[in-house]
Amino acid sequence: MNVPIVRKVLEKNDAAAAQNRERFDRLGLTCVDLLGGAGSGKTALLEAVLPILTRNLRVAVLEGDIATTRDAERIAALGVPVVQLTTEGGCHLTAPHVQRALGELTLDELDLLIIENVGNPICPANFALGEHARVALLSVAEGDDKPAKYPLLFRGADLVVISKCDLLPHVDFNLAAAKTDLRRVNAAAPLLETSARCGTGIDRLAAWLAHLVGSALRIDAAGSAVRTNRK
Amino acid sequence: MHELAIAQQLVELAGEHARRAGARRVTRLNCRIGALRRLESDLMSSAFEIARAGTACEEAELVVECVPIRARCPICAQVFAVADWNWRCPDCAVEGEPLPGGDELELISIDADNELTPGAAEHES
Ligand SMILES: [Zn+2]
Repeated sequence: MNVPIVRKVLEKNDAAAAQNRERFDRLGLTCVDLLGGAGSGKTALLEAVLPILTRNLRVAVLEGDIATTRDAERIAALGVPVVQLTTEGGCHLTAPHVQRALGELTLDELDLLIIENVGNPICPANFALGEHARVALLSVAEGDDKPAKYPLLFRGADLVVISKCDLLPHVDFNLAAAKTDLRRVNAAAPLLETSARCGTGIDRLAAWLAHLVGSALRIDAAGSAVRTNRK
Repeated sequence: MHELAIAQQLVELAGEHARRAGARRVTRLNCRIGALRRLESDLMSSAFEIARAGTACEEAELVVECVPIRARCPICAQVFAVADWNWRCPDCAVEGEPLPGGDELELISIDADNELTPGAAEHES
């Protein structure tokens, strides 16, 4: 017999993500998933932007990692609450991973939760976590062919951060070509050129994140549970 | 390797729907996967072999319909598949406008029957 199904293969993860999202919305907490390949500079970007964010916002970080706690230690050194999530070899975080880790944070005392996903440009983009927005990183050290190689990472992004721009004079990275490819897979997301080392673009990243939190807070204050800042 | 996670979900979903339909063995899974997912077919085949072992899908075949990235030519309006990241219209050689889609990841249907698989028998005992 033939049994028609037509279901999303990752519907179980999506259902857990929806539960996470409901929980965030109830608490008025904004959640951002930060994605990018290994060495794309996710932790360095957080180290640069967190000191700005924490002036006005209560922020915590979930640190996804295959095995080590090195990145979590770098975040903890900034005085920001951090929960380490090791995937024990898995190449991506899933919504149930996040669900389990949320118990280790005092969520109702937070404005913004940033999830630093496992350093992998392919797998994590497949798995919703319950985030309100995705920020995808592309470092100029990785090469300008990455949007073509890992299109899903950029297709699903609400903000694309081009990182390590201080290296542009020293690497073979065609910024215009990368932007063209990014626009092909995602015409809507803003592109932000940054350098964690020089501080370039970090204020604008902080403003983008604060605006995301602010729009959520304004909506909550108006008494509506509906957020509009994520498609 | 997200191929394994996806193969495991496919097998689980197929098994559930087979049970619901009163079938014990899945012989074929028909799924649709968009090119944006960047699933490697070799990796997907070996992941599926690992995932199906000891389940109702143990003897099943995985049939994948690959959905390409598509674009529309701004000159002649034809819709074409973007192969090898070539965005130019095959006739006009101008850059096509991206169309939605290409990110599909769906189990469309299964073929199932009531033969016992060794795996399913183990699970029932
Ligand atoms: Zn044409």
